[in-house]
Amino acid sequence: MVSNAASDRLSTTLAALADPTRRAILARLASGETSVTELAKPFRMTLPAVSKHLKVLERAGLIARGRSAQWRPCKLDAGPMRDVAEWVQNYRRFWDTSFDRLDDYLIDVQAKEKNRGRKR
Amino acid sequence: MVENASARPDMTIVRVFDAPRRLVWQAWTEAERLAQWFGPKGFTNPVCEVDARPGGMLRVTMESPDGSLYPMEAVFDEVVAPERLVWTTSVEHDGNVSFDIRQVTTFVERDGKTEVTTQAFVLRSTPEAAEALGGMEQGWSQSLDKLGDVLAGG
Repeated sequence: MVSNAASDRLSTTLAALADPTRRAILARLASGETSVTELAKPFRMTLPAVSKHLKVLERAGLIARGRSAQWRPCKLDAGPMRDVAEWVQNYRRFWDTSFDRLDDYLIDVQAKEKNRGRKR
Repeated sequence: MVENASARPDMTIVRVFDAPRRLVWQAWTEAERLAQWFGPKGFTNPVCEVDARPGGMLRVTMESPDGSLYPMEAVFDEVVAPERLVWTTSVEHDGNVSFDIRQVTTFVERDGKTEVTTQAFVLRSTPEAAEALGGMEQGWSQSLDKLGDVLAGG
């Protein structure tokens, strides 16, 4: 009901987001690009561990890395997250319209019950 | 998969229906009733099977006005009549399971009306996806909390 052509990319994005450290990294990058060393500071993690997380985020297209050898700043790319937001929005629409119909159904079925009661 | 109590739902909808809880519960758990409202406007449900007990299946095939079919399957995790219904469904693409959604719905009666809250938790990605990502984690059951904050900040 909710699958679409973008859902492969979507599952990669969701998988990348399914980790608190990576979400924290993204939240940090939301306030601007920064170096790996700076990113690692609040996490009490080794640089290689942080680099691993960054690779996952990079593969999911959630961040971009600068090319200069010494200082490769990390930058947030919100595109894939918009896919997730869009998917959630579609799913919400599905439930919203279903609930409209449920409302109608419940009114209908109660009216019928009432009628039946009267006939008795 | 265990529901993470601290996880924030990825979607929450609350709606009050002018009907007693008994009737609302029946509309969710009896196939011939569910078939009459489940899905977008104008859709019908030519297939609708509801085995509302833990481990039971929910099978629905929705048909759009132009005749396209949208099959959906879920497994009931919790069925506490008439107050709580939990099922898990897999969202698929090309026959590969992409991720699971746990749908938690509660029913509260107030003054003859029923407040329904339905919440979706995105549970995990496939092992294939995990492998593609370097096999760093397995069996995630994390929700996308803070996604909204990140989007707002970005």
